[in-house]
This record gives sequence, structure tokens and C-alpha cells, in this order.
Amino acid sequence: MRHEGVATTPRFRIFIMDSGWNSVAHKVLQENFTLIRDLQKEDPIYVLSREQSIEFLRQHPERIGKEPTIGVHDLAALGESGTSEFHGFRLHLGLMRTPQQALVALQSFVRFLSTHRQSTDLEAEIRADLRREGLAGAIDIIMHHEAREIGE
Amino acid sequence: MLDRWPDYVSLFVAALALGHPIYEIDRRWWEVFDVLDADDACITAGLENVVASGELQPYSGGGRFEVLEYR
Repeated sequence: MRHEGVATTPRFRIFIMDSGWNSVAHKVLQENFTLIRDLQKEDPIYVLSREQSIEFLRQHPERIGKEPTIGVHDLAALGESGTSEFHGFRLHLGLMRTPQQALVALQSFVRFLSTHRQSTDLEAEIRADLRREGLAGAIDIIMHHEAREIGE
Repeated sequence: MLDRWPDYVSLFVAALALGHPIYEIDRRWWEVFDVLDADDACITAGLENVVASGELQPYSGGGRFEVLEYR
């Protein structure tokens, strides 16, 4: 149970970078952002402006088309070892091609953030839990896609 | 002994057929999700600096992403 009113030290800093491509991922993020914000009240979310996002992409053109990108800085890791080792993770939502894929990825991401705030080895849990969810989610999408094709 | 070789080959091909999609799904998943490490130090530092300078503030409602109401 969430205890409203109890101060919680932020574990993550969440950054959203979205230059505004008229894409499936952009729409899914836009439609679900309020819920994401409500589910992540303990951690600050920073939304880069369109101009800031474009400037970022001009400096890192290899990222073009992968956004919206949600980056998470693990404040515990940053405080311990700075940026020389693992210090966070990110989701390239723009690589999702269907609304269902984008939503599954977003839900997995938010669920992971919410359930691993006290993790002492976040990198290991990313490689284990997030990988397992990814495979399960992908298989689920494939199975539903096949069932729909068979039914048509 | 020799007549078991086709069985081994079939088993190997079946394992490949099953393993390859899983490998591909896993590989693509990690294109979507990746960890931040030393390669991202510059970007991370840049974002942290923008936050520390006050140029970027935590989202508090309004502006981007408030176009559609949650329903």
C-alpha cells in the first residue's frame, strides 16, 4: 500500500526526450503520460522541450528515430560510482512499431521502475527481470497476432 | 552408431529453429532497452548539469503531454 504524505527519497531521475515524430510511440506516450506521472510520484520526471530534444539529437544523430526515449538515472549508482559504470537505463520507445508493442514496453518499464526502487543490484535485475518480461511480452504479442490472423 | 547421425542432425536443426527466434527477440529487446554505462557518461553528465543549473525543472503539469486527458 502506498502511504500518501510520507516523504520518499527519489531513487531515479527520469528524462523524457521526444522530438515529436508523428509516430505510434509518440501517441502512446502522450496518451499514457499522465498515468505514468501518477505512478511515479516518488521520482522526478524531466520532460525535454521539443527544442531541447532536437538539439540533443543534433548532437547525437545516431539516436534519431529511436525516440521517444525515456532515460532513467539511478541516483544510488551515480552517488556510488558516478558515470564510469552502470548508472541507469533507458527505453527507446520509438523502436516499437505498433501501439500494442509500445504499450507493453511502456508498462514493463514503469512496472520495473515501481518494483525495483529498493534494489541493491539494479543492473543484475534489469538483465534478469526486464529480459524475462521482454521475452514474455514479445511472445504474448506474437501469440495474439497469430490468433488474430487465424481468426480472420 | 552411424544411423543415429540423422537424429542428431535433426535435433540440432530443431534446436536452431527454436533458439533463433528467441535469440532474435532477446536481441531486439535489448535494442529497445539498454543500460547506461561509461559510454553514456557524457550524455548523463550533460543532463545532470542541465538539472543542476535549473534550466530543466521536474514536470509539474501543463505543457507537453497534457494534450490528452487520461481516460
